[in-house]
Amino acid sequence: MGRARRLPLWIPALAAAMAALPFMAGSFTISLVNEIGMAALVVMGLVLLSGIGGVTSFGHAAFVGIAAYTTAWVNTELGLSPWIGLVLALAMTAGSALVIGALTLRLGGHYLPLSTIAWGLSVPLLFGNMTMLGRHSGISDIDPIALGGFDLMRPEFVFYLVWVLVAVTALFCHNLLNARMGRLIRAVRGGKILLASVGADIFRVRLALFVFSALTAAVAGWLYAHANRFVSPAPFSLHASIDYMFMMVVGGLGQLAGALAGATIVIAMKSALQDVLPLVTQHAAQIQSVVFASLFILLLHHARGGFMALAERFMQAGPAHGKAIEFPVEPLARRAMPERGTLLLSVENAVKRFKGLVAVNDVSFDVKAGEILAVIGPNGAGKSTMFNLLTGALDLSSGHVEFMGRDVTAMGQRQIALMGMARTFQHVKLRPQMNVLENVALGAHARGNCGYLRGGLNLDGDEERQIMAEAALQISRIGLAGQEHELAGNIPLGTQRLIEIGRALAADPVLMILDEPAAGLRKPEKQALAELLLKLRESGVTIMIVEHDMDFIMKLADRLVVMNFGHKLFEGRPEAARADQHVRAAYLGNAA
Amino acid sequence: MGTRSLKHMFAAVAVSALALAAAHGAASAGEIRVGLVTPLSGPIASQGIPFSKGMAAGQHLIPGVNGHTFKLIQLDDESNPSLSTRNARKLIDEDKVDVLVGTGGVPGAMALASIASESKLPLVSFTPLFLSGEKAAWSVTTAQPASLMIQAVVDTMKANGVKTVGYIGFSDSWGDLAYNTLMDEASKAGIEVVTNERYARSDTSVTGQALKIVAANPDAVLGGTAGTPGALPYIALADRGYQGAIYGTHGIINPDFIRVAGGTAEGLLAPTGPAVVADQLPDSHPSKAVAGEFKAAYQEANGEEAKDAFSAYAFDAWKVIADAASRVDPSIEPGTPAYREALRDAIFQVSDLPVTHGVLTFRPGSPYGADDRAAVMVKLTGDQWVLQK
Amino acid sequence: MSLDIALILSVDGLAAAAIYLLAGLGLVLVFSVTRVIFVPFGDIAVFSALTLAFLEAGRTPPTIALVAILAGLTTAKECWQLIRQRNLSRLPRILLAWGALPLIPCIPAVLAAGRDLPPAVAVAISLGLVLPIVPLLARLVYQPIADASVLVLLIASLVLHFLLSGLGLLFFGPEGFRTQPLLRGGINLAPGLFVSLQVVLMIATALLLALLFFLAFEKTLTGKALRATAINRTGARLVGIRPSMTATLTFGATSLLAGVVGILIAPATTMYYDSGLIIGLKAFVAAIIGGLGSYPLTALGAVAVGLVESFASFWNGAMKDVIVFSLLIPALLVRSHYSSHSDDGAEEEV
Repeated sequence: MGRARRLPLWIPALAAAMAALPFMAGSFTISLVNEIGMAALVVMGLVLLSGIGGVTSFGHAAFVGIAAYTTAWVNTELGLSPWIGLVLALAMTAGSALVIGALTLRLGGHYLPLSTIAWGLSVPLLFGNMTMLGRHSGISDIDPIALGGFDLMRPEFVFYLVWVLVAVTALFCHNLLNARMGRLIRAVRGGKILLASVGADIFRVRLALFVFSALTAAVAGWLYAHANRFVSPAPFSLHASIDYMFMMVVGGLGQLAGALAGATIVIAMKSALQDVLPLVTQHAAQIQSVVFASLFILLLHHARGGFMALAERFMQAGPAHGKAIEFPVEPLARRAMPERGTLLLSVENAVKRFKGLVAVNDVSFDVKAGEILAVIGPNGAGKSTMFNLLTGALDLSSGHVEFMGRDVTAMGQRQIALMGMARTFQHVKLRPQMNVLENVALGAHARGNCGYLRGGLNLDGDEERQIMAEAALQISRIGLAGQEHELAGNIPLGTQRLIEIGRALAADPVLMILDEPAAGLRKPEKQALAELLLKLRESGVTIMIVEHDMDFIMKLADRLVVMNFGHKLFEGRPEAARADQHVRAAYLGNAA
Repeated sequence: MGTRSLKHMFAAVAVSALALAAAHGAASAGEIRVGLVTPLSGPIASQGIPFSKGMAAGQHLIPGVNGHTFKLIQLDDESNPSLSTRNARKLIDEDKVDVLVGTGGVPGAMALASIASESKLPLVSFTPLFLSGEKAAWSVTTAQPASLMIQAVVDTMKANGVKTVGYIGFSDSWGDLAYNTLMDEASKAGIEVVTNERYARSDTSVTGQALKIVAANPDAVLGGTAGTPGALPYIALADRGYQGAIYGTHGIINPDFIRVAGGTAEGLLAPTGPAVVADQLPDSHPSKAVAGEFKAAYQEANGEEAKDAFSAYAFDAWKVIADAASRVDPSIEPGTPAYREALRDAIFQVSDLPVTHGVLTFRPGSPYGADDRAAVMVKLTGDQWVLQK
Repeated sequence: MSLDIALILSVDGLAAAAIYLLAGLGLVLVFSVTRVIFVPFGDIAVFSALTLAFLEAGRTPPTIALVAILAGLTTAKECWQLIRQRNLSRLPRILLAWGALPLIPCIPAVLAAGRDLPPAVAVAISLGLVLPIVPLLARLVYQPIADASVLVLLIASLVLHFLLSGLGLLFFGPEGFRTQPLLRGGINLAPGLFVSLQVVLMIATALLLALLFFLAFEKTLTGKALRATAINRTGARLVGIRPSMTATLTFGATSLLAGVVGILIAPATTMYYDSGLIIGLKAFVAAIIGGLGSYPLTALGAVAVGLVESFASFWNGAMKDVIVFSLLIPALLVRSHYSSHSDDGAEEEV
């Protein structure tokens, strides 16, 4: 997934073979291949939505149905051309997806898949009960699609349209995944805090993704209606939705090519079972679903990664390589830094209660532009909670926070991040399946503005080059030049913390909030990190840091805030902290 | 099992499938290939399985004509019209069938009719069809038109002095069809239809719908249902103390229905084809002898007694094909477009063919061939259907 | 709508609610202990109903063959694993636990089939036959992927549903069955409100079982072990609770619950090989209203689903299921409102 590769040679070869197919195969094979193509369209959307975005849907056949019924109805009732039908079908499906998505996408965990089962079941029932839509008998005599005055009546002709659309959609998805919004889609599983920390709203990303996947399903539905020239509720049932899900799993969750492989394997295997089983048994039809289900369970047990995982094991995965980073004419614009010494952040009487426990109790302090402020204290002192309050990841129970002269107490995490506060996490939040470059580029998300369409159509070249150059620059700053194309998941934990710093830097922050950045680093690496932070301070970035390594902190910090049991014990210069009785008591008490 | 062996298994399946596809393609000369699409699984499997057995009985009785043997190839469409279409294409393309037969459910049968006219081969269905133009030129059905059956019901209602009738049916295409036909026929007879209640085959309770009917208090209730799921409304009506007359459609005529309905459907009046009450028919009735043949053939082919009403429609479809095929010019080889066209022409020349459900005469322009000899009214008495005169 | 009608509909709704309550309890139990969303619950209920119907009709229930096949497959798989681990000392125990134990209920079934049985005996045999099915299936299907994500487990559940309904069609055929009521007659609660004893039995059994369930879960040591596993698997293992053992216990209890559901529902409606899914899904709506964790809320959800279903069938029978499933929307909205603040939404990798 993900690594941008040059178009491999086999693609044109495959395209040529496909183009020749109608001249070699019979009309059944062609319509079977058409069916595979339509299913692949739906499954591609599902791969993006469920496999990559983690939003499980057991109701996508309903979207296929909404589109098919829309185009069927406007074509037979209003006599409109199928092409107008396509536009209306897409609009109708997108509208339905927006409504359904707005209602259900905030749900976490297993609620979402279960609720999708509910509408996957309800929508086909609605079709069957609407007199306008021909009730259970459906709508027949739908016009075939006309292309340049030529009716695409026979499956051989529909074939080209289907597969051109499959190819276009696949290319769009491929581009999208490697573009600015694609990085966000691939980061959705990292959770809403990660996305908000780079200035993105997870709900909006999930909703957009949901609508997008509904649209690929709509294209399939439109093709279905005009290729079969007949629609009825049964093909859009829950059963069909679940079949799409199965195709995705068989192909390999999260792999775009898996959509095609999964659709092909499932449809071809069902067709093959239909031929093979009657030779063995009289009850072939009844046994077919049993055999299919058994094979599927074996697949889950022994090859959960699906076909693509098997295929990758076969094909020797070459060394990781990506597109070479080209340096753009013009780098990304930078923020103006506030003047050194001015008040940047002020915390007034901050309190955070978790039910009975007071994690942060009446803490106040200021941060001035251009300083390094360390927050230290024993375990459980409330340091990380404090950071979460500042960044907006948690709401204050009472008190105020002001950042760059604005009251940010009630602001969401995302707005605060957009104002120039970047952070790293105590528990590293990198996307293990994305490479270092992409993880860092995620930080620069808010500095670009190419959306889904420009990303998918590959019209985002200049901005992408700027973002990638910026990411590469930050990677070299954190000393990881040359490792841009390693998967983040393969990198040692200590170094992963550096990547998080790179990601924060890519946001061009005014204030960086680092939660235990040196944990897991070896001595020379710590040295390098300290040098980096000092250099950053030189360039005007303000830094807040939580760290346990006292030597590291004492050499680095301009000022310290010491916390214990949620209280602020001390605020001032490091030397003064060493001398402070309360601080010593807290640390000695803790040690004893 | 490791992933490796799994891969081998997939490969084996794929290879055998290819081999089979190749084997299928080679039709042996002189064989008339009959392609059957029917729901052997899914919600309407309870119709599809008897259809399949009825065809087997037909093949057992008439294995060939004019020196050609019939070869029956059957595919399951899982009660899904998309699969009906796919399977029809498979039969036409890979198995080179000369005639299509199928399927359960109106949407699926209509989908088959489209393929038949597109591919220019005849379709003999056993489900009601609504066709016009070019599509009507290739397809016939052995089912009685719904209007014929519902008309028999409405006539009986009228004779019994029914003024208002409540309707409860499946929420599927059969429920829609029965309701629409009832509305037409009832208005002609001056009977008012006062309810249109629906339920799904898989529903566990129809108390709500039954209450609504009881509240409307019609003189009679008609159930637009089929098979064992059709028993539910009669049970619920009896539970709620409904006292009026109860009527059904020909879909419910089977012994499993009587078993499930228990005593609650006693006195139920329903239309059906003559096959169901063959032993009560006068010897002069054209269906009597055929129904006897059917029963014997069914028993021998399937090793069990024919008890349902669906299998006889499929058997009739076989009779139609056999009759038509016997009249095709012997010089035309099966498996050719000329043969398919000739067979179609012969099907539309079927005239006064006695079958289990009446007498069939097909003429171009309409898929139906049944006349009023194909409809009789029966009454459920004890656990027997008793012919009404 | 008159009061009479409302009362009748309420009784009908409560009878349905009794079924959803039992099914919902089973689903919540399985989910909380094993994280499996057990979609095929309804299919197991169907097996028990149809087994009883076959016994009543004097036919040999094919369930016997099913249990035997499952026991054979499971034993073979377990033995193969032991052989691969070269741990032959445990072989006799495995043979006994997975090979012999599940076959015990088959013996009375084989002996009794074809005879005229008293209803209580037929019910007992049916329940006995269904009892080993879920533990065996779980051992075969879920145990090898016990560490997988909820999504993978859910997909496995859906596959299992297709497998079981396919087997149901193969074994029991496409026609529906209705069993004899366990209790005949009824009581007149009010003029025009006749309640059959079968309905009373359904509601009473559900309440009694729910209560037993609650007590067993709250008070007994086994119940506490199950709860501990539900809350923290690793922690439970540390204090000596074997998660695979608790899982087997849970699946056994689920099997029994599904069996009871089938026995209770079979006289009230016609059961088909594919009736299970919709019953299971409606029980899910109840369980989701209860947040897939709370037993009392699940009970409340079951009552809501039963009543809404009953009244919806009066207002618009065809749209009944749409109305029932749309109950989920308010339930989910409330739930997401309360869970959105703390939940980061970060997910496990599949």
